[in-house]
Amino acid sequence: MTREYTVGDSVKHTVEDISRTDFAKYAGASGDFNPIHYDEPHAEQTGYESVFGQGMFTAGIASQSVREALGLQNLKEYRTRFSSQVWPGDTLFTTVEVTAVTETDEGTRVETDVTVTNQDGEKVVTGTAVAIV
Amino acid sequence: MPSKSIEELNHIVGKTNRTVENFEIERGKVAEFARAIRDPAKIYINEKAAQEAGYKTIPAPPTFARTSYFPRYRPEGIDYDLGFDLGFDRSRVVHGEQKYEYTRPLYVGDVLVGDTTLEDVHQREGSDGGTMTFAVLRTDFTDEDGEHVLSASNTRIETGRAIGGGSK
Repeated sequence: MTREYTVGDSVKHTVEDISRTDFAKYAGASGDFNPIHYDEPHAEQTGYESVFGQGMFTAGIASQSVREALGLQNLKEYRTRFSSQVWPGDTLFTTVEVTAVTETDEGTRVETDVTVTNQDGEKVVTGTAVAIV
Repeated sequence: MPSKSIEELNHIVGKTNRTVENFEIERGKVAEFARAIRDPAKIYINEKAAQEAGYKTIPAPPTFARTSYFPRYRPEGIDYDLGFDLGFDRSRVVHGEQKYEYTRPLYVGDVLVGDTTLEDVHQREGSDGGTMTFAVLRTDFTDEDGEHVLSASNTRIETGRAIGGGSK
């Protein structure tokens, strides 16, 4: 499976109707049991309007487009920065866009920007993914 | 501010602890994790589909190593703090950034160990007042042959004041 990469190419996907159930499922699947992500009274006491998603939940959501764009065999680096919270009811738009293609001794190095925005256009995750193909 | 000074924290930079043991990549856990991140790819649930896509068997999603936090993979005495007493007030700690570096995909059947190094500690003034303290904890995962599989670097930030105040 060879594939050509060009700067500007992108892979996108959308996940709708993020819910409290998603945060509870991610807690159970990942082992991140910080109650701020599923215990509403606790989240409110801490000063939030509601529970919100684990950063790594959103990094996981975004990994679908990373997988589709680069393939897991080739993936060398995946980096995410959590810039804003994900709330119940949000829709998440992931974009993985090729920013550089360079020839190296190891093979072709493909660099991408990873962005997750919500329905208001606010960035919730920014990051990068790198593959050697 | 953490209960420890930046000088005390700098003193433990570079220290390494064994933090993950017997981290067996189980098929059911991979399928459950893939569902939780809402990735419907068949490669995460069906061995034949994985092989047809060029994988030797079912791979785990890129962020699956987060599941090494389950207590059953923790050596005695290791918990959330990964064996580093940073003196952070956990109620003010946020996960700022996560970085994974891969040598190869993680596969069902792998059994890994993990060693965590306190890579860096630094402080800066937050934009809304108070000192923010950053700690970068890098966990290197190796397989049963002692070969590197991936590294996971977690940046924890103790914020300058109570988190709270977040709004929709």
